[in-house]
Amino acid sequence: MEQFWSITLQLLDGFKENCLLFGVTLIAALPLGLIISFGSMSSFKPLKAVCRTFVWIIRGTPLMLQLFVVYYIPPLLSDGSFKFSDRMGAAMIAFIINYAAYFSEIYRGGIEAIPKGQYEAGYVLGMKKSQIFFKVVLMQVVKRIIAPISNEIITLVKDTSLARVIAVGEILKNAERFTKEGLIWPIFYTGAFFLLFCGGLTLLFRYLEKKLDYYKG
Amino acid sequence: MALLEVKNIQKSFDRTEVLKDISFSLEKGEVLAIIGSSGSGKTTLLRCINFLETPQRGVISVGGKVLYDCDDPSKKTEKEIRKNRLHFGMVFQQFNLFPQYTVFENLVLAPKLLAKEYIKENGEYMGASNYKEAVEKINEEAMQLLKKVGLTEKRDEYPCNLSGGQQQRVAIARALALNPDVLCFDEPTSALDPELTGEVLNVIKGLKGSDSTMVVVTHEISFARDVADKVIFMADGVIEEEGTPQQVIENPQSPRTQAFLSRFNQYSD
Repeated sequence: MEQFWSITLQLLDGFKENCLLFGVTLIAALPLGLIISFGSMSSFKPLKAVCRTFVWIIRGTPLMLQLFVVYYIPPLLSDGSFKFSDRMGAAMIAFIINYAAYFSEIYRGGIEAIPKGQYEAGYVLGMKKSQIFFKVVLMQVVKRIIAPISNEIITLVKDTSLARVIAVGEILKNAERFTKEGLIWPIFYTGAFFLLFCGGLTLLFRYLEKKLDYYKG
Repeated sequence: MALLEVKNIQKSFDRTEVLKDISFSLEKGEVLAIIGSSGSGKTTLLRCINFLETPQRGVISVGGKVLYDCDDPSKKTEKEIRKNRLHFGMVFQQFNLFPQYTVFENLVLAPKLLAKEYIKENGEYMGASNYKEAVEKINEEAMQLLKKVGLTEKRDEYPCNLSGGQQQRVAIARALALNPDVLCFDEPTSALDPELTGEVLNVIKGLKGSDSTMVVVTHEISFARDVADKVIFMADGVIEEEGTPQQVIENPQSPRTQAFLSRFNQYSD
């Protein structure tokens, strides 16, 4: 029993890293994704091409590979003069880029689904483009994308364990250490941490969806 | 002098010419009904007047002031267009209310944004010198407009809980909240069940009594006959016939107008 608690605490130590990676990615990738989505809907062709190519590359390659690229390519290119002192920093950059690309596509879908009439109604009422976006369109987009975004956010929780491939001391890496002492169960035990976290998020998203249910359309 | 003057409007989409040299004028307090079959350019004309489409040729003026001139690039800047749009109100076929706002919020959203902007720039909005005072005026006016369209008790409902006819009446009140010189309607009853068209047409009829200048694109021939001061029949992007309802609807001269109207009379009493 004492061993169980000590292992739980050590795993929790690792899970803190997962939570940190999750939080930072979320805070940075949600707005960055919106900016990228504007780029991929831009009428300025070169910008649109750049954004869509970026999204294609990021969504078309494994996140694990992107982690390697972010961590190993800069030292290779700079002949070793630049090296990530903090593995977590590299993981954050890779995760933010990856998730911003996915979020941008969800935003784009949500924004493009808003009927043209909503913009026109704003225009004839003398509203500015930015006012129409923030006062009229955005809330409707949020309602439309809350389900796909929640899905992506829950995936993010579990993806954080991928940071292990560049040796970030996250929960699975901590659990693996115990195999040397002949203990295999801590690896399976990590599932409980993820389940609890995702369970909490699911409840939160359900609450938000309900909150936004006060109107239809 | 005419309040609204539209001269030589021409509009093409790609190679299709939708409006070919349209000119007409409207006095203050007059109601103009534009009739014609689908694809004749009625809606495009209305959208040009509201600057939702940019005509390739033509001039639009209100009260003697040129708002749009195809040869004057200074009239085509976003800021100028946004300002000039305020001379017109627009009621859409699909209502286009903002679903996340209540009826009352739909009415006051745009006026409040404008008040904030005007007070910042000119220190004044409709006689109010600060934002708080302006909001009070806007709220008061919104309640009066809701009364006018008979929806006072629906002020805190969301559009999804209203019937189509009620939604369209809210849309009319929303357009009026900015005190436009000319109120435009784009087939305001075409998306409604037949039993709901009456309430909307009655509101429009009521506005005529309060001296609003209106342009109504409609398929309701009997409404055009009873309410309009002036009727334009459009076909293939030109004004085929125009005049009083008596001239155009009761006694059409052009064979195309006659053919169009006879198709309507076939089924109406």
